[in-house]
Amino acid sequence: MFRAILYSQWKWSRLIVLLGSIAGFALPIISLQGAARADRNPLQTQELLRAVQSWGTLYPILATTLGLLVAIATWAPDHRGRHIHALSLPLPRWRYVLLRFAGGVTLLAGPIVAVLMGAVLATALATIPPGLQGYPLALALRFALAVLVAYAVFFAVSAGTTRTAGIILGVIATVIVVQIVAGVANIELDLWGKLAIVILNWPGPLAVFTGRWMLVDV
Amino acid sequence: MTNAIETRGLRYRPGKGFELSDLNLHVPAGSVYGFLGPNGSGKTTTIRLALGLLRPGAGHITVLGESMPENAPRVLARIGYVPEQPHLDPTLTVRELLRFQAAFYSTWDWPRAEQLLRQFQLDEDRLFGRLSKGQKAKLMILLALAQRGELLVLDEPTDGLDPVVRRDILAALLEYVSQGGATVFISSHLVHELERICDWVAVLDDGRLVTESPMERLKNGIKRLRVARPPADPRAAPFALLAREPANGEFETWVVRDWEPTMASYFDAAGATLEDVVDLDLEDAFVELLRTFRAPRS
Repeated sequence: MFRAILYSQWKWSRLIVLLGSIAGFALPIISLQGAARADRNPLQTQELLRAVQSWGTLYPILATTLGLLVAIATWAPDHRGRHIHALSLPLPRWRYVLLRFAGGVTLLAGPIVAVLMGAVLATALATIPPGLQGYPLALALRFALAVLVAYAVFFAVSAGTTRTAGIILGVIATVIVVQIVAGVANIELDLWGKLAIVILNWPGPLAVFTGRWMLVDV
Repeated sequence: MTNAIETRGLRYRPGKGFELSDLNLHVPAGSVYGFLGPNGSGKTTTIRLALGLLRPGAGHITVLGESMPENAPRVLARIGYVPEQPHLDPTLTVRELLRFQAAFYSTWDWPRAEQLLRQFQLDEDRLFGRLSKGQKAKLMILLALAQRGELLVLDEPTDGLDPVVRRDILAALLEYVSQGGATVFISSHLVHELERICDWVAVLDDGRLVTESPMERLKNGIKRLRVARPPADPRAAPFALLAREPANGEFETWVVRDWEPTMASYFDAAGATLEDVVDLDLEDAFVELLRTFRAPRS
């Protein structure tokens, strides 16, 4: 069963997975492209860190994009058929959802491994200045976690009906409206900021996306 | 005789405009059961409820002896289902779809699938999304038949197809039934098609069951009578009077149900004369049934 599900998902996701893998492999290598020289002084070390940090912002973007696109592709065949075929298959719904989820996770292994390989290769080829260290495994693990979190969130949203999506959008819209009304009425209410802190700061569910994504660091 | 599908007091209300109310169906095991009704009468909704795709508001559904939707996964493994719209993954080829389906059904019959593939002349390398309407319909039937289900549930399987494809599909269906003794539940608004293949028939209108009976009894029992000097009050009649319309002069045309030849004596006793008894085909019977059913409400 899993092979059948995985194959159908592969046909929908293969381009996303392929492009994601290429980007994931290339990103660490590009981020260390200027570090192949051994004659660096402390100033250049700072430059290297700044370059690595700025390239690092692309990892969470790539992770989110991959999670979103693979989640959409995971449910695409079922959405097209209005879930009739899926519901008429002889297995419990939770098991079908689990198979679909596992299929997506399996496909996302490609870009994750590509990031790991790219990061290992980049740090092996680069001359890292004294005092700095490469963290290819940590970066790849963090990327894997971010991809899986993004995939899980968008998988859950995509699995829902239009009504569910409407409810989620409605909640977001309500928060925005309350914030605007509070601002107009000069009421000190930073709902958006508080929400962002809860969600984006540790141990918030999206904390993995924030902070510095450093392939090379002190 | 046990029932392959049975519903008791089934109710479902998806929105404001439509309600399936107190539906009591009995689909005998081994029968070819036609489920007739105009578009929007609730046929597809009833099928989806029976298969556990929807949850009823009230009532009980039993399919192949098991309560639904609680036992849906186990029951669905024994059912071949052809939905109203082809709904398969358009990016998979015919061969890939066969493999996909085979992975979910332990009773999958590969030799049968291969034979039907040849019989229907389907190109196994063609994407489902690129198949014609007729080819899609054939593939859906192929998948349902190769599952070797004890029950086939077909929701308007030949709707909008040309006569050649329709005939191919019905022939494959009848061959399957003759081989394995499966129950077939087939919904349609194509009356003549059901008349040819069904031995039981139910008529649904606006979410309510109009009638359910063996095909022969329904066909033989509905007559158009030409009556001279008809009685004003027909309540004592041994048949069900569906409609009465004045004809020329002292004559009236009656449409009756549950008619038997011996019932002609009723008219003699009532001082009337039965001038003529006309057979109705299923389509006429269907129209008369619906007209009568709708009359009290209109």
